[in-house]
Amino acid sequence: MLKEIIDALNERSVLAGWTVRHLLTHGAQVYAVPNQIESQRAVDVERYKIDVLRQTSGPDGAPRMGSGDATLLPGGDVRAAIENAALVAGLVSNPVYTLPEPASLPDVPLIDAALQKDASTATKEMMERIRAAASRNHSVQLTAAECFGEIHTTHLLNSRGIDAEQETTQLNVELVLHSQRGEHEVETFREMSRRQVADLLLEDEIEQSARYTLDLFEAGSPPSWQGSVVLRNEVLAVFVAGDSLGGGVLQTLGSAASKYAKISPWEIGKSVFQSDVKGDPLTIWANRRIPFGTGSNRFDEQGIPAQRVQLIRENELVAFAASQRYADYLNLPATGAFGGVELPPGRVSASTLLAEPYVEIIQFSWFNPDPITGDFATEIRLGYLVENGIRKPFRGGQLVGNYLDALADVRWSAETGFFGNYLGPHTSRFNSLKIAGQDE
Amino acid sequence: MTDLKLPSAMAELRPALVGIVAEGRGQAPYFSVLLSSKHGLQITVDNREERVTERAPSAGTVLSAFDGLTVYERAVSGFGWNEVQQGAHELVRDISFANYTTQNEPQRSGDFATLIQIDPAELSTQEKLDRCRELQSRVKGRDPRIVNAQVRYIESSEHAVFASRQADLAQRVQRVNLFVVVIVAGEDGQVQYDYLSKSGGAGWEVLHFTDEEIQSVVDGAIALLGAERIEPGEYQIIAAPGVSGTICHESFGHGVETDMFLKQRARAAHFIDRTVGSSLVNIFDDPSQPGGYGSYFFDDEGLMASPTQIVEGGIFRRGITDLYSATALNIPRSANGRRQDYSRKAYARMSNTYFGAGTFTLDEMLAQVDHGVYLDKWSSGMEDPQGWGIQVTCHYGHEIKAGRITDRVFAPIGISGYVPDVLQSISAVSTELLLDAGTCGKGHKESVPVASGGSHLLLKARLG
Repeated sequence: MLKEIIDALNERSVLAGWTVRHLLTHGAQVYAVPNQIESQRAVDVERYKIDVLRQTSGPDGAPRMGSGDATLLPGGDVRAAIENAALVAGLVSNPVYTLPEPASLPDVPLIDAALQKDASTATKEMMERIRAAASRNHSVQLTAAECFGEIHTTHLLNSRGIDAEQETTQLNVELVLHSQRGEHEVETFREMSRRQVADLLLEDEIEQSARYTLDLFEAGSPPSWQGSVVLRNEVLAVFVAGDSLGGGVLQTLGSAASKYAKISPWEIGKSVFQSDVKGDPLTIWANRRIPFGTGSNRFDEQGIPAQRVQLIRENELVAFAASQRYADYLNLPATGAFGGVELPPGRVSASTLLAEPYVEIIQFSWFNPDPITGDFATEIRLGYLVENGIRKPFRGGQLVGNYLDALADVRWSAETGFFGNYLGPHTSRFNSLKIAGQDE
Repeated sequence: MTDLKLPSAMAELRPALVGIVAEGRGQAPYFSVLLSSKHGLQITVDNREERVTERAPSAGTVLSAFDGLTVYERAVSGFGWNEVQQGAHELVRDISFANYTTQNEPQRSGDFATLIQIDPAELSTQEKLDRCRELQSRVKGRDPRIVNAQVRYIESSEHAVFASRQADLAQRVQRVNLFVVVIVAGEDGQVQYDYLSKSGGAGWEVLHFTDEEIQSVVDGAIALLGAERIEPGEYQIIAAPGVSGTICHESFGHGVETDMFLKQRARAAHFIDRTVGSSLVNIFDDPSQPGGYGSYFFDDEGLMASPTQIVEGGIFRRGITDLYSATALNIPRSANGRRQDYSRKAYARMSNTYFGAGTFTLDEMLAQVDHGVYLDKWSSGMEDPQGWGIQVTCHYGHEIKAGRITDRVFAPIGISGYVPDVLQSISAVSTELLLDAGTCGKGHKESVPVASGGSHLLLKARLG
């Protein structure tokens, strides 16, 4: 069918360019409720995604560009789909842009061999590991778990000669640990996404989550706090790089599309901060080459090869993450999709960053700063006030502040970790963050 | 005969489903087939560019076998008879099902479609694009501080066919959404934005913006250039209907999805027929509401839509269910078994969830506030059904002083607190009933279209 689509596209002389992706997903899903497998699913998805460009003209007769798209299922009407996409492209009037041309593709490790071989078995084994690890701690109970294992295959071709294939694997795990003392019930929720099973440290995660679950029994009211806040590991990764619901402030303000739309006030060659930087200088890469990174690939949706793009160097914006379209519009290099977030190691050890007193936040309800302004006010599910050698758990209250102001006053650990879409220091100490507690 | 405009492959497969169900029933105690097709269009017009794109379409078949303990499913891409027949065969072939007598369900059949006056399917893409361009031209030049004005139109069309031993159902559900987003820049380089949307389970007839409404978005964005962060603390607040709806959605919406009861994740499970809020609190979920953005005629498990009263006079009455949790908990089903698409399982999900109307006017409620905050617009929320914590983030709010809304703006504002405390503090509910469209996740995934809303609420809560 791919050949039929390409032949049909090449017959359409009205088109200025096209991209076709043949997308295949094969996956397995296992769902558990207490003491029971709730559901087992096998999933197959196949489709062809077609994007076309067509030269149009503006009111002054100047050349413009239109785009249209179509998705076909196997056996779908190829000619009708292309006809409709071309028709839509003829309606739209934008500044002219191009498609990427062929380039060599990097080898980026993206595949878990066991999952690739048998998604169903790999996914069930993951679920069994979760259930076994949870059963070792009799003070908590696994009340829900979901394991998804998927193999994604992409074959991309475009009118400029790109012909590229890639295969990736993806694992998504959710689990809930619950405990009860009398009428007092507590739970912790964990979710993780990785490309290979080896990067899911399930037993360690469950042991740690069990401790947090039991600490919730002792959790008191949130303190009002203005001062040092420590974030580590997964919660730090979410803070820096966003979560599965979408990218965060960096991805928005660091994108050429946002710059073109005048949403991003960032300027290349200037500091990304409006305030003085009191902490470590900020350096960030938008990296699609992180081995087994969930944002990694060999090429993106347009066929642009994976790159490790230095976005910010010592607080100064060096580049925007730019698709070919916005690279053409802003006369920038085309870097392709953003990918994962990478930070360099900090200068001090993690233990240095744990000088008391401080507040450590273990879990937010949902850390979702406004992607444009960076402002946030987010509820705390579990945190610790650490002072005088005592870690006192609390729940509730809100961490209040601004994402960029926070990054302007933070110290990073020399020790690093990999958390799916984030590679960098595993411990951070934000020197001046505010918690709206309940004693105000 | 209702014209569902079913995709042709779906229409062609539909007659064969009786045989496929019968074959599945030969092995499994319960067997059903769902054909699901979702497609849509998104048009974006702003000061600098235009886009017309498909909404990521999905089309596939879900084959479900259930023995009272485990749901076994096969999700097949598309509606090819061979693939579906083979999938059904493979699904039941190697499973040793437990003995299970299915619940008695009424026989039900019919074809249903959203009532539409101006059907998006009858308008050309050119006409829709022109309507967006016309609206954008009404927004963009209203103030020199506007650096971009975006109009975003989203239409989604869902077709579903459900077949089981008791059901032969088909539906077309049409949803539309039109956003106006105004982005402004201050002299100091600060960028702010405000937005307004119109939506419904309807057609273009609900997508009209008045000049006053457009100006309110511009004014809102400009006011945000001077917004302050609120001093954290407990406040007397009046929640606008959209904010009320988000409070409702995150508290006694997610908190009463009965799959969460089964997973011991919902504290509400222990509060059936117990007081959870003030006597003014009535909460409903109603997928059958005409024109609702979260409406449908039957859920993804083939149950006919009908309203559920969740909280009555402050007393929690019942939750909303999917088939599995209702069976496991031995409770009556409600039509809330919904899937993101055919590739995902069904969970208990909300539809149109709202606080029931009260008897106060907004002016009467404002008169009761000496110093407080009017929460104009929500931006996000997150549930905590076990801890009964609440996180609702508001894009902005205005100060209330001596019973009047002032020009002082706070942004953003987070509402937090313990759900029963928040609901117990509700001391007045206004007469109007307005719902906002939204997308709801189960935790951090499984998106489905919903609406949330209600009335203005006067209550106390912690803001930060």
